[in-house]
Amino acid sequence: MSRWSYFARRVLLMIPIVFFGTTITFLVLRMGPMDPAAAVIAGAGDTEAYESVRQSLGLDQPLWLQYVEYLRDLFTLQLGYSWVVNRGRPVWELIGVYAPRTIWLGFWAVMLPLFIGLPLGFYAGLNPNTLSDYLASFGGIVWRAMPNFWLAVILVSVLTQSDQLFGFDWESWLVQTQIVTPPELQRLWVPSNFLAAFKAILPAALVLGSASMGNEMRIGRTAVLETVNENYVETARAKGVPRRTIISKHVFRNALIPLVPIITGEAFLLLGGSVLVETVFSINGLGYLFYSATINADLPLVGSLMFFFILLSVGINILQDLLYTLIDPRVGYGGEGA
Amino acid sequence: MSAVDYPVDEDEQTLLERIQDEPGPALKLLAVVVPLFAVEFGAVASLVMSLPWSAVGSALPGFLQGLAGALAGVGDALANLPTLLSRSVIDNSGYQLPSGEWVGTTLGLSPAVAWLLRVLLVYAYGFAWMAVGWWVYLVYRDNYRYADWAPVDDMVNRFRNHSWGLLGLAIIFAFVVLALFAPALGPTTVEANISDPYLHTVEYFDEEAGSVQEIYVGDANRDSQSRGQGGDNVGPLSYDQFGRFHPFGTLPSGKDLFTFMAAGARVSLFIGVLSLLIAGGIAVTFALATAYYKGLVDLGVVIASDSIQSLPQLLFIMLASFVLSGTWLANLYSGGVVLALLFGFTGWPGLWRAVRGPALQVSEREWIDAAKSFGQRPSVTMRKHMLPYVVGYLLIYASLTLGGVIIGVAGLSFLGLGINAPTPEWGRAVSAGQPYVPTQSWHISLIPGIMVVIVVTGFNALGDGIRDAIDPQSDVGTGQQDESAAAGGGA
Repeated sequence: MSRWSYFARRVLLMIPIVFFGTTITFLVLRMGPMDPAAAVIAGAGDTEAYESVRQSLGLDQPLWLQYVEYLRDLFTLQLGYSWVVNRGRPVWELIGVYAPRTIWLGFWAVMLPLFIGLPLGFYAGLNPNTLSDYLASFGGIVWRAMPNFWLAVILVSVLTQSDQLFGFDWESWLVQTQIVTPPELQRLWVPSNFLAAFKAILPAALVLGSASMGNEMRIGRTAVLETVNENYVETARAKGVPRRTIISKHVFRNALIPLVPIITGEAFLLLGGSVLVETVFSINGLGYLFYSATINADLPLVGSLMFFFILLSVGINILQDLLYTLIDPRVGYGGEGA
Repeated sequence: MSAVDYPVDEDEQTLLERIQDEPGPALKLLAVVVPLFAVEFGAVASLVMSLPWSAVGSALPGFLQGLAGALAGVGDALANLPTLLSRSVIDNSGYQLPSGEWVGTTLGLSPAVAWLLRVLLVYAYGFAWMAVGWWVYLVYRDNYRYADWAPVDDMVNRFRNHSWGLLGLAIIFAFVVLALFAPALGPTTVEANISDPYLHTVEYFDEEAGSVQEIYVGDANRDSQSRGQGGDNVGPLSYDQFGRFHPFGTLPSGKDLFTFMAAGARVSLFIGVLSLLIAGGIAVTFALATAYYKGLVDLGVVIASDSIQSLPQLLFIMLASFVLSGTWLANLYSGGVVLALLFGFTGWPGLWRAVRGPALQVSEREWIDAAKSFGQRPSVTMRKHMLPYVVGYLLIYASLTLGGVIIGVAGLSFLGLGINAPTPEWGRAVSAGQPYVPTQSWHISLIPGIMVVIVVTGFNALGDGIRDAIDPQSDVGTGQQDESAAAGGGA
């Protein structure tokens, strides 16, 4: 099987996955013990309102028809309206408002570990069994085990009190920003706006990326240790290639391959984890929107958001396969790779 | 057990026969296990009696009810037997006279010392069981096992020399003891201090009145709050004004943090283990079936698992536990059962992915082929010839996943979802202490967080240790499964 037909097969497989993922959501929302219409009018006790909500959600129709219409609406990307959280606003509009903050947060939560964790891991791998290696490895292990929400709580408190604690005020450092507010994302191409937006998201991104940072460090270290002992590295060394060139051309490049699925896998985890970090830092992003939609019983909004998340995760999966196909021509595409 | 399945078994003795042939070591073992069990027999009996037996009893036909009643009487009597690790053996509740003398505590010790002694006793007891477990393995291996050597021996030996893995094991064991013996370990109990503080009283010496007074625990709690700067604070390892010792300090509500943490450990462990049993059971069944049958079965499970994984785990659990919140299921164990089910049914794809590779590998071996051509039933082949190889790998990821579940549950209860108050959960303590982190009441958030870090690191270390013990050359560790397993849905 060629690389590209393997890739095409993977993309085809995504169709039933989106379908089943959406079906699971439907089962929970419509066949679960909770009546979406009753949840929407919660406590109002108004039968007329209840009936009209039922009607506009299509709950008065037989279940199979509801299912067909539910799927039809979502697959034609008609995500419907919010009922409680932001009454009457289209879900797409809400996504348009909330998603950029999550994307900005997620982007840096992926990038920061890459630029901090990976170099640390490579450094540890190139200097194995030294004190700095042990320090870096141990730090990575502990860093990885920290619950994000706890780290966020600690960081928020430390930063808000940084003046008393360290005699250094984080809020007014470089640019004036606040710690527990959503970042301003207007006109990012202006350097000062960019800096402010970056500084505002930095603590949250560090927290959200903390687990990834520990992982990437660990995996970077192992990958370097393994590649350094490969025959081609030995050959290059025997030929007299300078150490610097060996490391940059032969070691790092090959050590990067196992990291591709790690990084894309993380991007997906961030989606789920963002809810806690966004809550603590009051970044009104998608995770927070989902959380408030859930606790306010805005089940139609929840269903649409869940579909959006499924699409995102499937998209990330396809991206991962694409990267794999492009980077590593050696991956086996035998019968078992499904 | 038909002869077709086990043609070589005919001349093999059963374990019981082997023990009868050489009873010495087994008797010695028994001589230690029986007293060790006997000192805690009352606790086991009361655990048995705490099950809802009356429901069973009333369902029995008439003539059996009398018998059941007699049995219940015996059971109650057994449950009331004194046990070594009960709170009254070393009592830490009492009051201090102005002379500095403590009244009510065991031997007049100060509550701190009494509590510490009890903790040491409980942990000594726990580690004694661990040592006995190791001894049982040695006795079985050296005296009663049919084979002189088994692959497991090498794995155990490798694990014994893996200091990082052993550290993990020690941490996890300490955590399990904390969870199992939570009622005996706390300086007070959940009922007296957290759930029904106005049904219990505490005695203290009132300086103004110059006499011993009795006060409701709830009222006492109001004067032992930890509320940061300028307010009251009862920090770690300190007494409040009622002579109550707080090893971890108090919560903003004045309740004892250590008691809260010990009870919370129980909840976390329960959810972790139950969800893992569900997820592991599904994962192993599917892994064996897909590796054995391959083809369409495999494709079907791939699609099912990918569909579940396409839903963000933490968000989905949040949604499902909200939808289920009004049902009877949500009230079982304060919502712990629902969380365990949800973590189990959303967690199996990760475990399945992790053991699928090893299962496929073993399915290619000659002995599987031989078993097939021999006419062995597929279920027997899977159980006897494939499962032993897969179980080790499952243990690695089980250990990582448990850490992840603990983080996930703590994250949910931090948001106020999942475990219903007032049942203690670690995440709720972090949330309660959130406003007080930079103040003198830092302990409320920091101690639970640090405990989570230690326990999760322990589970990760144990997983690393098991991996190196099973397959020292393998690099299965540097994969995606690892990290998503340990991340608890990103909480």
